[in-house]
Amino acid sequence: MAFLDNSGDIILDAVLTDAGRKRLARGDGTFKVTKYAFGDDEIDYASYNPNAASGSAYYDLEILQTPILEAFTNNRATLKSKLLSVTNNSLLYLPELMLNEVADNTTRIPNSAVNGLSSGSFLTIVNSNTFTQLKDDNTAFKGTVIYGYGEISPTNGVHIRVDQGLNTEKLDPMNQLSSELTERQYMIHMDNRLGMITDIEAGSVGSPSFIDDDQIATYYITMGVGKYIDLCKTGQINDSTEKNYVGLGEGNEMIQGPRGTKVRFALRASSNLQASDYLFDTIGRSAIVKNSDSGASTTYGCIDTTIKVTGVTTGYSIDIPVTFAKKTS
Amino acid sequence: MANSFKTILPEDVATTRTLLHEAIPITGTIVSGTYTNAARTAGANIKTFTHGMYEAVYDYPYLSSSANHIFDITAGYSPNSSLSGSDHVQNAKKINIYNQMAQVLVGYDTGSNIQEFDLDGNLGGGAKFKECVFVNFARLLTKDEIKKDSFRLKVFTSATFMAPPTGLGGLKTIGDYGAQTTYLTNSPSGEYGLLYTSSAAPKGAIIGHLYYQAGIAVITASMFSGAFGDPNGPSVTRALAAKDAAGATGTGAGTAGGGGQIVEQLTGSTITQLANGLRVTINDLDFNNTTELNSTIYFCRANNTEFNYSSNSTYLSSSQIRVKGNNPLANPVSYITTVGLYSPDNELLAVAKLSEPLKKSPTNELTLRVRLDY
Repeated sequence: MAFLDNSGDIILDAVLTDAGRKRLARGDGTFKVTKYAFGDDEIDYASYNPNAASGSAYYDLEILQTPILEAFTNNRATLKSKLLSVTNNSLLYLPELMLNEVADNTTRIPNSAVNGLSSGSFLTIVNSNTFTQLKDDNTAFKGTVIYGYGEISPTNGVHIRVDQGLNTEKLDPMNQLSSELTERQYMIHMDNRLGMITDIEAGSVGSPSFIDDDQIATYYITMGVGKYIDLCKTGQINDSTEKNYVGLGEGNEMIQGPRGTKVRFALRASSNLQASDYLFDTIGRSAIVKNSDSGASTTYGCIDTTIKVTGVTTGYSIDIPVTFAKKTS
Repeated sequence: MANSFKTILPEDVATTRTLLHEAIPITGTIVSGTYTNAARTAGANIKTFTHGMYEAVYDYPYLSSSANHIFDITAGYSPNSSLSGSDHVQNAKKINIYNQMAQVLVGYDTGSNIQEFDLDGNLGGGAKFKECVFVNFARLLTKDEIKKDSFRLKVFTSATFMAPPTGLGGLKTIGDYGAQTTYLTNSPSGEYGLLYTSSAAPKGAIIGHLYYQAGIAVITASMFSGAFGDPNGPSVTRALAAKDAAGATGTGAGTAGGGGQIVEQLTGSTITQLANGLRVTINDLDFNNTTELNSTIYFCRANNTEFNYSSNSTYLSSSQIRVKGNNPLANPVSYITTVGLYSPDNELLAVAKLSEPLKKSPTNELTLRVRLDY
């Protein structure tokens, strides 16, 4: 997309998204605009200089000169960061979402062991044959991958956990995050062709609220419904000699300051992914893993994707890299 | 409770209807000269068909993907015309074309008979257009409709020789003069105006109809006198052409009915040859089209207490808000670049981008007017 001409009057370039056009074409009344949000996708707030020597008019000089792109019609490509309404103007901190990999069964396979199968992503195994082979290839795969073929993760495999809170040492983690900023509902977006989310305790498959024209499924998960969301524990996480240390956070929590909620889920590979190599051939890649003992090579099909977790209250989001893997030879 | 969405209230929505006009200039050389072959018949931008019912005119050689279809030309006569005869070239096709156009544009009488094109539009009686040429404009050009009183067709009506540019004459500018206020509505295809040969009062002869929503011009063949036709047309025409060239009578004297060569062409030429004959007489064509835009306007309001924070990843540094420095009492600041319109289940249905960031803080309020056109 080109930049919008910013040399004259302020103009507004409005388009329907592809998802909007799809709903309009369906003609079933689902094209209904009921709310709006403001976004600031192009803005880099690091450019804001509250210490500019020339005065407050120069704090945001660079930000205001940011050229703005034309509107994307892809509904997933824009409004990635939304503006937020909070009644309290004196907030100095806002909560963020962080991937938790210190709690039990949340650690990704270390990069040293992946052999090109995945790089910094959560490896999701599509079928049991693949897992059997991977365990033979390298024992590091045991307990560090998501079982995408139906086994319940907490006992055997890894799940994804995202924590919310104020990640600063300047605020005491003994306090829970204020209720105004605590997320009680999350949206999870993932490619519906590849899989779906599951509850980590019961292993039940989630039901998407809708699937858009790009096959991206949106799941709404709400605190108190299912086993997805719970409050994070309070307490210090680092130093047991610290004053007021109660140890509740140690070994489980990532957020250094006041904590809100945590969202946990595992993944289930789609039946198409389990039964067919088509998607691996068309949107995937292949990786060869050498057995750590015998040196024999095994080829795996891999599909790299991203799962987006967004807090409904604050709009804060985090992208989680995931790789679906299947033994192909 | 923090929130990043705001509900649209009934007073935040307005609907409007806007008519958008575009000028469509078509120079005669595109139709008859620029891409025409040496024989001045079928050029690279003229598509003919084996069925021979019409020919299509493009603005560029039609085999190119850059070509746009601009209009079709065809011709026909009523079964009640004196020119109708079973031994005439493509007689059935010419009647079919006339009847097709008449039933779509004029409709049927109470006895379910196809009505003929009426000269003044008063179907109760009076003179009829029984021999017509039809110019069917592509929707690409006319969009929703042709703007009334904008249609102007400059055409040579009385050539002395049929191989242009030699001998072209009788240039007239026909148009739907005054149609903005005097159009007719008794067509099943919408509104239409009468085509006159002159704008001066009286407006000159009525020589056709222009159907605005259908995008079709119906022109009576009797408008043409003298030489007319495809230079490579049937022998009778070539003979008349030679006669015109030699005698320079300019009337096609000696033709049946004394109507000039157009009569010979209507009976002795194919529809494609008639269309070629019309093309070479076109000097210029202009009209304005109309696009009807139905818009919904959403007034997206950001009050002073709203949208002052951001979920942008760069907004925080170790969870601390950058724009506040280290001062909790400083006002929060955010910058709007985008407006998103959402469904109840938070699906992004439409997006609007500002041309420059707008600063939002507790000290200001903004209303952004987002217009969606349908």
